[in-house]
Amino acid sequence: MGSKVFEKLKKDALDAETLICARCGFCTFVCPAYNDTLWDSQSPRGKLYQLRELIKNNKPIPADFADRIFKCTLCGACQEICQTNIPLLRFWQQIRQEINEVGHWPEVVKFLDNSIQESKNIMDLDQEDRTLWTDMVDDIVEDKIGVPAKVAYFAGCNISFKGTLAPIGESTAKLFDHLGIEFTTLGENEFCCGNPYFVAGEWDKAKELAEHHLSELKRLGVEMVVFNCPGCHRAFNEEYPHMLGSESTQGIEFIPYSEFVVRMMKEGKLKFTQEYNHVVSWHDPCELGRHQNIYNESREVLNAIPGLELREMKHTKNKADCCGGGGLLKGTNPLMSVRISERRIASAEKTGADILSSECPSCMMSFNDGIESKNSEIKFKDLAQIVAEALGL
Amino acid sequence: MLREKQLQALADIVGEDHFSAEEYMRKLYSHDVGALPGLVDDILKTKADAVAQPMSSEIVSNLLKFCRKNKIPVVPRGHGTSGYGGALPTKAGVSIEMTRMNAIYDIDHDTMTIEVGAGIIWSKLLEDLEDEGLTVRAYPSSAPSSTVGGWVAAGGTGIGSTKYGGVKEQVVDLEVVLPDGQIIRSANPPQEFLDSIEDHDYKYLANEDEYLWAIGKISKDINDITDLFVDSNGTLGVITKVVLRVIPLQTIRPLVASFERKEQMVWAMQDLMKKTKPFYLHFITDGFFGMLKEVGMAPESTHPWLILCAFEGSQSSIAEEEKLFKEAIGDNFGVVESDHLGEHEWAERFYPMRIKRLGPSLAPSEVYVPLKNIVSFIERCDKHFKGESFALEGAVTDTGEVAVLAWFLDDERKTISFLMGWYRSLDFIEMGLKDGGRAYSIGMWNVAHSRSFYGKQELARMASIKRKTDPKRYMNPTKVFPGPLQLSFRFNLLILIVAAIAVPVVLWIANILIGDLLSQYISWLLVTDVQSAILAFGIGLIIGVAAIEVVNWVPITFMLTMGRPFLRLGRKIFH
Ligand SMILES: Cc1cc2nc3c(=O)[nH]c(=O)nc-3n(C[C@H](O)[C@H](O)[C@H](O)COP(=O)(O)OP(=O)(O)OC[C@H]3O[C@@H](n4cnc5c(N)ncnc54)[C@H](O)[C@@H]3O)c2cc1C
Ligand code: SF4
Repeated sequence: MGSKVFEKLKKDALDAETLICARCGFCTFVCPAYNDTLWDSQSPRGKLYQLRELIKNNKPIPADFADRIFKCTLCGACQEICQTNIPLLRFWQQIRQEINEVGHWPEVVKFLDNSIQESKNIMDLDQEDRTLWTDMVDDIVEDKIGVPAKVAYFAGCNISFKGTLAPIGESTAKLFDHLGIEFTTLGENEFCCGNPYFVAGEWDKAKELAEHHLSELKRLGVEMVVFNCPGCHRAFNEEYPHMLGSESTQGIEFIPYSEFVVRMMKEGKLKFTQEYNHVVSWHDPCELGRHQNIYNESREVLNAIPGLELREMKHTKNKADCCGGGGLLKGTNPLMSVRISERRIASAEKTGADILSSECPSCMMSFNDGIESKNSEIKFKDLAQIVAEALGL
Repeated sequence: MLREKQLQALADIVGEDHFSAEEYMRKLYSHDVGALPGLVDDILKTKADAVAQPMSSEIVSNLLKFCRKNKIPVVPRGHGTSGYGGALPTKAGVSIEMTRMNAIYDIDHDTMTIEVGAGIIWSKLLEDLEDEGLTVRAYPSSAPSSTVGGWVAAGGTGIGSTKYGGVKEQVVDLEVVLPDGQIIRSANPPQEFLDSIEDHDYKYLANEDEYLWAIGKISKDINDITDLFVDSNGTLGVITKVVLRVIPLQTIRPLVASFERKEQMVWAMQDLMKKTKPFYLHFITDGFFGMLKEVGMAPESTHPWLILCAFEGSQSSIAEEEKLFKEAIGDNFGVVESDHLGEHEWAERFYPMRIKRLGPSLAPSEVYVPLKNIVSFIERCDKHFKGESFALEGAVTDTGEVAVLAWFLDDERKTISFLMGWYRSLDFIEMGLKDGGRAYSIGMWNVAHSRSFYGKQELARMASIKRKTDPKRYMNPTKVFPGPLQLSFRFNLLILIVAAIAVPVVLWIANILIGDLLSQYISWLLVTDVQSAILAFGIGLIIGVAAIEVVNWVPITFMLTMGRPFLRLGRKIFH
């Protein structure tokens, strides 16, 4: 193994980043994992320092260190603040891949891998159950599965299989219906988008999934795909062209839910007229915000709803704190994940909002766990739910 | 190395969750931002034996009492963002990291002061004060990660210092746990404590007037010894709470101007200091600009000599100052850049190390130089460090000095050349002194400048506190007070082995070369057979032990001063 350690990292010239790190510590106090423990072993700075020694001595990552590395939500706050512009997101992904090379992937990551390979979804469930989310909107979706259309809706594994998240998909379907949009969904042909592999640094394993999805979408003549899940959106929008070349996605647009709503508003197809008397605090999902620089559309939607008051938390947009749900932390370190989400909820509570909102099923899961364990009065609603309620759908 | 029992006792004091003696943790709490040449790591005991993160002043006190009794060195630590070696262990021991003591205890709008835990991070404090309509007078550009206590202990100037002075001018009072475990308030220490240190003090002072002047600065009570703890680098105790002066939160207007030549830039800064009162006045040299360009972070300015000038105040006062700014820039042939560029550079005020990517190592050094001598200083540096890649930046203080920071690019993977390059950081300060400057901060590497930095009187008073509370110097040893170095076990063993082998070998060779001559005087010493070789080996061991004793008493100042010419020469050869 000796000479092979950190091979891919070195190939991508990312090994030198551990030396470039200035040890300024800027990344520490924005890191949810560091803030959870206040031990530098848990901070990006601390991890880079340890890796630098391993890389220098050509030693593999030991199991206990691998565990610590996975205590990370991949929220990207470290990259955003980094003194020396280290591409930390890519770096952590590569390091997770390296951890797989030395056989120290956490059990839950191995489970996800097996599940995706065998069942094409992250829950190891039958693909026949993919359309569970449509139960309450059967009348709208029933005849939309696998039909050719210009607009497609990609629900993603979480919304598809987890009953608690289904309302996000339902609300989106209701909006399509309200707008009279002919849309399609892939049904059983919707597989995992591959996001867990990107998060775990195994791009190669996601290639097949990407190719499958793109060929399905092309077969149905899709020109625009709408996502509620920023993880799936980023997979299609960034990782697929990165893996397969930019021409692979030509002719298809991938847009998050908020952007879709804004477009409808701008085209005059959607107007909010009813009062929605709530104070809402907006949480920027990491995969949409810091990872893709998309911040404004959701706010534009919220501000267009009469009666709705948007109150920002102290840390928003590129400085937003993480919900605790990213980077597979929910699976690898569920308790830490809940504590992180509780901290974000506390910030939302400070604004006096009665609703905490975001556009992300992962954030919804995290926040609902946090709200329960914190016994908070605040309610979480996905943007799609707010829009549907505001329109009286 | 601490014994298991000692580690357990320390863990019991601080709490298991806030204590670690894990190998990786010890390393993580034993560095600062400077990369140490490998040799230093080999020579000194630069790795702490354990890390403790106390939650209260009482716990700190108990920790110190235990360490003092057991002769365990203690290194106070904020967040390790300094680069002067102050937070580095030199004799192993316990690193006491303060970031868990991060509360805001009091915000007093009447007296415009706040009391905070020493471990609070500046950016968190700034954020929380914002809610109260307040802000601090100055903060370091490491604000996103450095602690209030760390900056107080390291000393220095930062953003806001052009108008309000350095950290010293902000601090009103400190809670300090002295090395003997006693908890005092520096603005009002117990009388018996003052009496005991004043006794010592008089020996070092010429007369009463001088004494009163020394501590009566900034119109404080005679009983107030706060200044002695500011920039004392954790040698006089652990700072646990800090009372700071604050100001109302007002508008900040950042403006940027660029110049073709350094003289124009310096004239403009002199004009600005005469006509306006900037909150922050900072410059970068064309060299710095060039490096920023290489890493894709250079602003799109007209010229490469750049100043960032931020005004603070009401809208109307700022408008007035902005007018004067534009005049000063115009008068000195500069170009006032766009507002967008101003905002960009203001946001970049926290990022002096963007250029590190070009290294990948960066050796820093800092010195205060009067603004009027800056041109000469820059030219002196250019000449002295010819052939080295380096960049300068500087920030003007309220006293008209400039804190000039040098960044020398290097590559720590080139072990020898990197070690030799160390002379630059030391020489840089000497260059500054030649232009009427003074050291910026002491820590460990600048310990040779302690006397001039603190002044004779202040250092004497600090020394008397040290003598009274820490006679064995367990508290942050080899910092500020240039005590002897204590070499690592590895290095001592090396000296012993080298001596034990060298003596018989030398005597054997001598016997071959000039045996006839020597046998007339010291025939018993010559190595001719196994028996005489064993005897010489024994003598070698004795010489080795003696050498260890001597070397372990060599003060760090001696090492740094004597080593510099060799490093300089070595660098020329190996670079
Ligand atoms: C990007 C960057 C920008 C910087 N900008 C500035 C600047 O503008 N101005 C400036 O002066 N410096 C600056 N520095 C240097 C450094 O950040 C400051 O010296 C800083 O305030 C140190 O704080 P810290 O908490 O990291 O302390 P550390 O580095 O951990 O410690 C510094 C010294 O203080 C002692 N110490 C720490 N906490 C305590 C305590 N509670 N009680 C007693 N002793 C203690 C340590 O033993 C050590 O000697 C900068 C550094 C970086 C990386
Ligand atoms: S912010 Fe960047 S340079 Fe600073 S410690 Fe973190 S990773 Fe290193």
